[in-house]
Amino acid sequence: MALAAAAIVAALVVATLAVAAVESWAGITDASAAYLLAVVAVAVWLGTVAAVITAVGAFFLYNALFIEPIGTLLVSDPREWLNLLLFLFLGLVVGQLAGRQRERAESALLRERQARALYEVSRALAAASSAREALPAIVGMLSSDRVGSRAWISLSDAAGPERPAADSGGPAAPAVPASHRVVRRAAGNEPPAWVRVHDPRYAHPGAAPSAEDTYRVPIESPGGSRGSVWVTRPRSAGPPGRGDTRVLLSIADQVGQALERDRLAEQAVSAAVARRSEAAKTALLDSVAHDLRTPLAAIRAAAGSLADPEAQLDGGERLARAAAIDRDAARLSRLVTNLLDLSRLEGGDLRGRPAIMVVEDLIADAVDRHADLLAGRPVTVEVAEGLPPVVVDAVFIDQVLANLLENVAAHTPAGTAVRISASMVGDDRVRVTVEDAGAGVAEAALASLFVRAGPRPAPAGRGGRGSGIGLVVVRGLVEAMGGTVSAARSALGGLRVDVDVPVAPAVIGAPEGAGQGGP
Amino acid sequence: MTEGAAASVLLVEDDIATRAEVTTFLRARGLRVTEAADARSAVLAWQGARPDIVVLDLGLPDVDGLTVIRRVRREATTPILVLSARDREASKIEALELGADDYVTKPFSTGELLARLHALLRRAAGPAAESDGAVRLGSLRLDVARHEVTVGGRPVHLTPREFEVLKVLVGHAGRVVTHGRLLRAVWGTAYGEEAHYIHVYVSQIRRKLAAADPDGDLGGLIHAEPGVGYRVMLPGDGDRRTGAGT
Repeated sequence: MALAAAAIVAALVVATLAVAAVESWAGITDASAAYLLAVVAVAVWLGTVAAVITAVGAFFLYNALFIEPIGTLLVSDPREWLNLLLFLFLGLVVGQLAGRQRERAESALLRERQARALYEVSRALAAASSAREALPAIVGMLSSDRVGSRAWISLSDAAGPERPAADSGGPAAPAVPASHRVVRRAAGNEPPAWVRVHDPRYAHPGAAPSAEDTYRVPIESPGGSRGSVWVTRPRSAGPPGRGDTRVLLSIADQVGQALERDRLAEQAVSAAVARRSEAAKTALLDSVAHDLRTPLAAIRAAAGSLADPEAQLDGGERLARAAAIDRDAARLSRLVTNLLDLSRLEGGDLRGRPAIMVVEDLIADAVDRHADLLAGRPVTVEVAEGLPPVVVDAVFIDQVLANLLENVAAHTPAGTAVRISASMVGDDRVRVTVEDAGAGVAEAALASLFVRAGPRPAPAGRGGRGSGIGLVVVRGLVEAMGGTVSAARSALGGLRVDVDVPVAPAVIGAPEGAGQGGP
Repeated sequence: MTEGAAASVLLVEDDIATRAEVTTFLRARGLRVTEAADARSAVLAWQGARPDIVVLDLGLPDVDGLTVIRRVRREATTPILVLSARDREASKIEALELGADDYVTKPFSTGELLARLHALLRRAAGPAAESDGAVRLGSLRLDVARHEVTVGGRPVHLTPREFEVLKVLVGHAGRVVTHGRLLRAVWGTAYGEEAHYIHVYVSQIRRKLAAADPDGDLGGLIHAEPGVGYRVMLPGDGDRRTGAGT
C-alpha cells in the first residue's frame, strides 16, 4: 500500500517537473499531456484504482500549479475550465483502459499457467499405466513450478493411514506438524480458502517447528477420501495464491478420478478373469467327468457280469472281464495322475529334479514301460547317432512320453503305425518326436492342443474321447524342464508332437563317450 | 513260484478293502498272511510272528510307516516291500534309504505285488554267488575279484567306474538301488562333478552289455525307476513293469 502511494506520488512529481520544464523553457502553454503519461504508467504498473487516484491528483496539481491564479484551485479564465475538465475526463478514461488491460494480461498469464499445469498433470496421468505411476511427475511439477518448496502426495489403501506415494523432497519422509492448513472448497463462485486446522491424524511425531507452513488438499473420490496433496511453503510467502490453489485443487480432483478409474478397471479385470477361469473350470470338469465315467461304466458293466450268479460265463470270459476291469482301472489311475499334475503345475508347486540323461535310454525305457498303452500298434524308434545327453526330470519325461503314447492310442484305430524319433535341433536342444499314421488334427486346431481353456472343437478325424488334459500336462511338464512342445502334421499322415529339451552342459570328468550315442 | 510257497507275510495296510483283497489273494497263492492296520499293531505283530517279509503301506493312521521300517531294521534284515502313492517319489526314496527293499506304487494290481514279493523272497534266500565269488545272473557273470564281466562267455570291457556301478546294481539284484545309494557306493560321500553323469554311466553299461548279447537275453536287465533309482532284474522276473509306470 505504502509502496503504491509512493509510486503515485513519484509519478506525479516527475510529471509536474516535466510539465514545468516544457511550459517554461519550450514556451508551450499547455503541457498537461505529460500528466496523462504518468496516469498511463501508474495504470500499467498498479492497476485501475491507482490510475484513477493519479488522474484526480494530476487534475488538482495542474490546476494549482499551472493555471492562473497559480497557487490556488481558482480558475480565472473560464476557457481554462473546459480544458481542465477535459483533462480530468481523459485522465480517468486512459487510466481505466490501461488498468483494465493490465488486469486482463495478468489473468491471462494466470490462466495460462493453470492450463499448462493441468495439461501436464493430465498428460502424466494419461501416459502412466496407473494413477500411482504418474504421481512422481506431478509432485515434480508442483515443486519445479514453485507452488511449494516441497510437494508430496500421500494415499491410503482401504481404511489404513495415508502413506507418501510420491515425494519431490529428500529421502526422509515428510514430517507433517499437527497444525497445518487445509483448503476449504467454497460453494458457488466463492474462491476456496485455506483454513488452519489441528489434525493429529496426519501429524508426524517427530515434526520439528520449521520456517515452512504445510498445506493439504484432500483427494476425494466417489469411494471416499483417497489421500492428500501436500505442499510446504516458506512462512513469508503466505498461503498459495488463487491460481496455485486452483492448480492444487484440480490436481487433487484429477488424481482422485484417476484412482477411481484404476479401481474400477481393476474390479472389471478381476471379474473378467474370474469369469474366464470359471468357464475353463466348467469345461475341464465336463470333459474330466466324461473321461472318468467312460472307464467307470466299463468297470461296473464287467463287474456286474462277474457278480451275476445267473450269468453263465466260462473261464475265458471271466478272465476277459477281469482284464477289462484292470485295464480301465489303470486308465482311471493315469487320468488321476494327470489331474494331480495339472493342478500342481497350475499351482506352481511341481518342481523338477533335473538330471543328465541319455535320450536313447529314456525312449527305450518309456516304450518298454508303456507298451501296454499302445495295444499292439507297431512302434518304430529312430534315434540319431551321436546325440549328446540332455537335462530332464526322469519322472516328468516318463509322464510326457506316456501321455503322448496314450494320446496316440486314444485317437487312432488299432494297428496304426507309431514312430518315436530323436534328433538335434540347433546346437543346444534335442528333439523327441512322437508321430502317428492316424487321421491327424486340423491345421487350425494344432495350436490349441496344449491349451486348457474353454470348450474346444473336437479335432477333425480324431475320436471325441479324451479331455486333452494329457497334452496340457505334457506342455506343463516340458516347460517345467525348460523345454518347448509343438504340434504339426506328420509325414506319416497323422499328428506329430515335437518335444525339445535342453542339452546337458559339458561337465569336467564326463565319462568317456558321454557325448556319443552310438554303441 | 515255489520258493515263497510256505513264506509268511506281514501285511500292514489301513484300508480294510485293500487289506482284505490282498490277504485273500496272497492266501490263495499259498502264502501265510498276518494283518495289521496301523504302525503300533504292525510292530507287535512283527515281534510276535517274525514274518519272512513285510508289506508296508507308508500312509498309516497312527505314525508314519517309516517308523516301522526303522524299528524292523534295528533287529533284522527281513525284506520290506513298501506300498506308496505315485506322486511321492521323495517318500519312496526315504523308505528305500531307511532300508526298505522295494516298492509298489498304488494303485497296484495284485499280480504286480506278487511278482515283487517273489523277487524279494528269492533274493532273501541268498545271492547266486559261485564258489569263486563271482555272481551269475542269467548269461551275465560278474567276477568281483578279477574285475571281469562276461555275457554268455563273451568278455565285456567296462571302465573301472562302470564296473563299480554294475557291481553295486548286481549286488542288489531284485531290489531298487536309489540314485543316492549308488552314488555313495561308487563315488563315496564326497561325490564330484562326474557323478552327475550316473545315468550316462548306466547307459554305457547297458550298451556294452547289449553289444555282447546278440540274442537279447539280457534285454531290460537294468531297469530304470524314474526319479528313484535302478533295479537289476533277477532271472525269472516275468513282469518287468512296476507300479511306477502307470
